[in-house]
Amino acid sequence: MLDNLSTSLKDALKKLAGKTVIDRAAVDELVKDLQRALISSDVNVKLVMELSKAIRTRSLDEQLPKGTNVREHVLRIVYQELVRLVWASTDVKLEPQTILMAGLQGSGKTTTTAKLARYFQKKGMKAGVICADTFRPGAYDQISTLCAKINVPCFGNPLEKDANKITREGLEHLKDLELIIVDTQGRHALEADLIREIIELNILTKATHRWLVIDAALGQQASEQARRFHEAIDIDGVIITKMDGTAKGGGALSAVAETRSGIVFIGSGETIEDLERFNSDGFISRLLGMGDLKALVERAEEAIKADDVDVNAMMKGKFTLRDMYKQLEALNKMGPLKQIMGMLPMGNMELPEGVYDVTSTKMVRYRIIMDSMTPGELDDPSLITSSRLQRIARGAGATPDEVRELLKYFKMMQRTLKGLRGGGGKFNMQRLMKRFSGMQ
Amino acid sequence: MFGGLREKLLVARNRLGSSIYGAAATQSPPELGLSTGKTAPAPETSKPISPLSPTFVDKVRVLITDRELIVSEKDVSDALSELEMTLLESDVAMPVSDAIISHVKISLVGKHRKIGDSVDALVVGALKSALLDVLGSGFNLADYVRTHNRPVKILFTGVNGTGKTTTVAKIGAYLKKMGFTVVIGAGDTYRAGAIEQIGVHAERIGIKIIQHQEGADPSAVLFDAVQYAVSHKIDVVLADTAGRFHTKSNLMSQLEKIKRVMKPDLVIYIDEAVAGNDAVIRAAEFEKTVGSDAVILTKADMDSRGGAAISIAHTIGKPLMFLGTGQGYDDIIPFEPEQVVEDLLGGGT
Repeated sequence: MLDNLSTSLKDALKKLAGKTVIDRAAVDELVKDLQRALISSDVNVKLVMELSKAIRTRSLDEQLPKGTNVREHVLRIVYQELVRLVWASTDVKLEPQTILMAGLQGSGKTTTTAKLARYFQKKGMKAGVICADTFRPGAYDQISTLCAKINVPCFGNPLEKDANKITREGLEHLKDLELIIVDTQGRHALEADLIREIIELNILTKATHRWLVIDAALGQQASEQARRFHEAIDIDGVIITKMDGTAKGGGALSAVAETRSGIVFIGSGETIEDLERFNSDGFISRLLGMGDLKALVERAEEAIKADDVDVNAMMKGKFTLRDMYKQLEALNKMGPLKQIMGMLPMGNMELPEGVYDVTSTKMVRYRIIMDSMTPGELDDPSLITSSRLQRIARGAGATPDEVRELLKYFKMMQRTLKGLRGGGGKFNMQRLMKRFSGMQ
Repeated sequence: MFGGLREKLLVARNRLGSSIYGAAATQSPPELGLSTGKTAPAPETSKPISPLSPTFVDKVRVLITDRELIVSEKDVSDALSELEMTLLESDVAMPVSDAIISHVKISLVGKHRKIGDSVDALVVGALKSALLDVLGSGFNLADYVRTHNRPVKILFTGVNGTGKTTTVAKIGAYLKKMGFTVVIGAGDTYRAGAIEQIGVHAERIGIKIIQHQEGADPSAVLFDAVQYAVSHKIDVVLADTAGRFHTKSNLMSQLEKIKRVMKPDLVIYIDEAVAGNDAVIRAAEFEKTVGSDAVILTKADMDSRGGAAISIAHTIGKPLMFLGTGQGYDDIIPFEPEQVVEDLLGGGT
């Protein structure tokens, strides 16, 4: 759904892929690309500026954590800042409650009301709808037709002009139901009378939730409108509608940031079933187009203890087999390779099918071979002569060729690391993987 | 016509690219003609935050004039990037604001080189020409109806929830007030309650409506509406349709069929003034599949910035006909670009 945004972000991040040191110009460029991507997705300009400023400052000021490359470092910052933007997801509990719908004209409140009734009905709740839209002609016909289709009781009176009166009667009429959704007339924040009306409705219904319905195409106005609605009735959730078009829903992000609530549902079609529960966990990761980054970050932190590998020594070219062993071990701790790869921002790297299995078995083999070496050999591989090689192979149940391959791989790693002096990290997964796939 | 503008701008921009630097340096000390009464502006002083009416053009003017006086090409680009931000904040879509910026830049730089005119006049002139170029010439519906064979058939299109049905009612009331006879075809047979909605509107404003039941073929309804107009010598047929997304090819081909069957004289594309960047994408898609002759922007009362107008006009190059400005039948105003631009620029030179 937010594909375009994720593509633009990916492109922006790709530019950092080859970098090993934090480079002001590159970060500036990334931030600029990010700004453009977010603004063309209709995220509020001010919000984008704040966000990008934070990302820029943090990227330049924060020290590159041990074991990450620049791209991962910046990516993590982008991720964390975006997460702060989206806030937590709003809880939707299956218990007796009243939901008050609010939103601009034509944002899709009535359709969404019916979809919500259907959603809760499917979860086994007894739902009912009150049509408090007394202004738009045909509003009652619309909601009652939709409700009739799903057998949900709908209370309304197209002849009554007082939304409060209808709602009061409706609450009485539907009091046996567990869940009541109050559909209201579309209004915008500058219409003082209507804002007053919805405040009254909020007091009258004692609504458990007050959800703001936002059209995915809504532009810069989203922040302002959301803020006013929030001031009036304390919005506690946002529903994005019309996500089946080409609009990217950035306006909804602004609204969420403004109301400090979460996105509750996403409407993406014209039938009554087209409503998805929104879960903000992992949303940003998907937005950035890269699996569940949060989980990856957590895992990496668990798996790699800072003292596992002596990075400094390695940077001086003192990369021994022992270091490589630890590296493989750390990888192993993080879980099945395929899963890790799924979580990684792979960017421009395409792995052929089947590589996962081969490489992970190969890693296991390498470890076994190394287990068969003496401590001296691990510290200084040049000790390994032809006879020692034979011994290692026998001890590990491997062929001498496999041992040679390991040594070749080790030399390659060593050379790579020398080339990286001053930056990068011992945990350069992409490079590692490239070596592996190159050796097939 | 605006597609051409953009290309022209791009070409010109490339050609001028190198001369921008030289140009700003030759600038003579400019006089400030700003109504705020500020004269010799101290360079690098704090930017005046316009406390008056913060319409975007005001902001723009302040930004550009005051920044520009710090005579160096770097500041021109600073000012322009802030102008860009202002446009973006006003919901002008990214590609469109890019185009406007380059236009303004070119006019500014070109002028500086020739005469050392007052900066204010320069900026206003540049902006005015950029905006007028984008907004086109407007569209007088009453004149159109007068000068064409009756019945004039008008088809309304657009995505969901932009306010097509309400607009159809408003236009009906408008034309009726102008002395034309009108019939409405209830072509939204999909959305529940749509026929009732347009029916109530038609009844209130006293216009005949042709309708079938929900789920009927909209082409058939609208064909009937046209037949009714022909046999009753009605001046205008207003054809409402269901909202549809440009991504649904079946619905778009349904719209093509409607167009084949009722042969509209005018296809009017309706979008909302609050739409953001997507306005450009969907306007282009609608233009591609069913075409359009004019644009109506609704919900303009929610949004005083009107960036969507600029985006859409720039994208499909069709005139803006009306602005919808509220929930009443009279809340519709003909769009006159000169007037609007004049208003925006506060009657400057």
